[in-house]
Amino acid sequence: MKNLFLLLSPRALGLKNSVLSAASDIRKKAVIIGATALAFWAVLFVLSARMLVYFQSVEVIGDLLAHHLLSMVLLTFFALLVFSNILTALSNLYLSADLELCHSSPSRLEEVFLSRCVFTIIDSSWMAAVFGLPVMIAYAWVYRPGPGFYIALAQTGLALAFIASAIGILITMIMVNLFPAHRTRDILMLLTMFIVIAVYILLRFLRPERLVDPDAFFTAMQYMSALKSTDSAYIPTHWATEILWGKLSETGNGSRLFETALLWSTAAAMAVINLWAAGRIYLKGFSKSQEAKGRRAGSFILDAFIKLARKPLGGDLASIVEKDIRIFFRDNTQWSQLLLLGALVVVYVYNFSVLPLEKSPIRLEFLQNVLAFLNMGLAGFVLSAVSVRFVYPSISVEGGAFWILKSSPLTMGRLIWGKYILAVIPMLILGEMLIILTNYFLHVSLFMMILSSVTMFFAVFGLIAMGIGFGAVYPRFKYENISQVSTGFGGLVYMISSILFMAAIILLEAGPVRILFTANMRGVKVTALQGLWIILAFLSIFLLIWFTVHRSIKMGMKALEEYERF
Amino acid sequence: MDIIRLENLTKLYKGLRAVDNLNISVREGVIFGFLGPNGAGKTTTIKMMAGILRPTQGRIFINGMDLEKEPSRVKGCSGFIPDRPFLYEKLTGMEFLRFLSGLYGLDDSGSTNNRLIELLEIFDLFNWRNELIESYSHGMKQRLVMCGALVHDPKVLIVDEPMVGLDPRGARLVKDIFRGQAEKGRTIFMSTHSLETAQEVCHEIAIIQEGRVIAQGTVDELREDAGVDGNLENAFLKLTEGKGIRHEKPLSSS
Repeated sequence: MKNLFLLLSPRALGLKNSVLSAASDIRKKAVIIGATALAFWAVLFVLSARMLVYFQSVEVIGDLLAHHLLSMVLLTFFALLVFSNILTALSNLYLSADLELCHSSPSRLEEVFLSRCVFTIIDSSWMAAVFGLPVMIAYAWVYRPGPGFYIALAQTGLALAFIASAIGILITMIMVNLFPAHRTRDILMLLTMFIVIAVYILLRFLRPERLVDPDAFFTAMQYMSALKSTDSAYIPTHWATEILWGKLSETGNGSRLFETALLWSTAAAMAVINLWAAGRIYLKGFSKSQEAKGRRAGSFILDAFIKLARKPLGGDLASIVEKDIRIFFRDNTQWSQLLLLGALVVVYVYNFSVLPLEKSPIRLEFLQNVLAFLNMGLAGFVLSAVSVRFVYPSISVEGGAFWILKSSPLTMGRLIWGKYILAVIPMLILGEMLIILTNYFLHVSLFMMILSSVTMFFAVFGLIAMGIGFGAVYPRFKYENISQVSTGFGGLVYMISSILFMAAIILLEAGPVRILFTANMRGVKVTALQGLWIILAFLSIFLLIWFTVHRSIKMGMKALEEYERF
Repeated sequence: MDIIRLENLTKLYKGLRAVDNLNISVREGVIFGFLGPNGAGKTTTIKMMAGILRPTQGRIFINGMDLEKEPSRVKGCSGFIPDRPFLYEKLTGMEFLRFLSGLYGLDDSGSTNNRLIELLEIFDLFNWRNELIESYSHGMKQRLVMCGALVHDPKVLIVDEPMVGLDPRGARLVKDIFRGQAEKGRTIFMSTHSLETAQEVCHEIAIIQEGRVIAQGTVDELREDAGVDGNLENAFLKLTEGKGIRHEKPLSSS
């Protein structure tokens, strides 16, 4: 095993070198990303803590709810870890560029395999560890356990990470032996996407909020049994839940040695099984993954759709649009995200349809219209989230082939406008759909329906321009998977800017809307001063949108013209 | 007539002079070889000529037009072949060529289609035209890039290391095509490490070192300058004084 540490060293050295040699702007980016992550972390902690404090205030069933939540959190993180491990194992064990070097070296197969397992565990577990921690600390803050809880947390977390990685790696090895590695990635991506969407929709439609509303259940017995029906006693997260709850709960008995032994013996057994399986199928699978992939392309529907999209454009822009549409629908990592988007929209609209407005003590008409107004901001946020995934990477999607455009007669201005046109139309449809459907469920007034639809219509132009502009300022032409592009610094800057943009529009509109709404409710006329305010506010909104579009496109054009990292 | 003119071309990278005050003129219908050791500034010069890097100083004239002032028109009459063929992997070969013909302003007519088919046949890619590029080998991708560079029948072809990844048959094909293009009056500006290729096909050669031209002329003139007999390799090594391949002492065997 002497080569194991040697095989691990390039990653460690690379990390050390990039930290030491990082330029000041990279350090600044790291500080901004770190601060945002910390803010997210803090929000997660506060929300978790508030929920647990609320649970504690519920008599009889408070602790049952907290126990149930802990079990659900651990199960969710564990499931996410397994999926994350499947995908990272595929990259680390089969697709990484340096694998040829490792396999052609005199290192033993077990050494190469173990080094890649270590990378897989680190790559897939760090995020779950970071974002799971605030929930766990919230438990500790509310229940005030002894130091034994923290030791238990560390050891159960580690054991769960090992087990999830072992399961993920084993599944990956089996899949690669059944399909070629490149095809496996596509299949796994799709499978993961379907499962996530199914679980997401299922969870939402089960309406978990009813769990804290005993009125929704027919009998107290039914409610109590729903809470007590916990997860299976044979899954590792159940053992971890019992270990942690034992430390948290005052009534928790003993050190839960049996569960601890079960957890670690399972981790050890999984490690042995994986090593045994690797000896038999890893190299065979790696060899298969090196085979060339081949696939014939062609679709009558896609061709017809492209023909339609080309018509109004003509020339170079039509070529860009055609290329982008073809690549989008042929690349599973791109179009499959549409499924996620569909689920997001369905659940978003569904949430509005089940809002218990009639239970509110506030006047219904007022509440409906206030919600519709705030909904503009929320829909803007949803659109930004969709844009950061689909619009922001539209320049980076050119990848290593960007030289083709740069050396062609196409100006960067026309490229940016082409991408803008392609993105703005579907986003307008999505934005209007979100606003109109949710307003329909809220039964808002005609005035609010028109105001929010028109506002959203114009705001989309600004949001998309920022997406394209920031995408051009922070292009990432080297990526393994296009979804990685949005997770960088530029994606974060775009999200923050688009939230500020929507907030500015809402703030500017709030005053005039209040005036108009109150005047309408009371049946009085708007004064001249109020009229002036309204005109100035709407003028400012149009100016803000115009300025955002103009600046974003110009900034993107300049960045692409000056881009030289070929 | 000089179809390519580089005037005082300079490129600085964080204080390093990658290209230093380069002056080169190339006549129409010439295959011009651009040689030099690793890191001499060949690729940087070629990328500036293709319009994907901006010079720090100096000007580039192609077909009488200034690249800085009329980039679209200059790019419209030139074709670029890079050393590494990064392409759109999810397009088929035919779709890629159609995309390029759109970018270079060719219409969707039957004559464009015939030209694309002719090029695919010349480069032995016709049977692969409906396959995704991701299934092509490196050599096939390189040939497809060459096809693409010829789609709009450019007056000037700017080529960086054309023989990388090509098998002997592919390499012969490319040499024949370059000769054919030159006979038609097209100009080829080509960087290469293959001195044999340069000697075989180039009418004129410039040797660049540390960003500056240190010798220029025909193969015979370069040999004369270097004061050596034999092939171009001897002249190249003498002129560059073995830079880039110097061993202080023989490699020891373990």
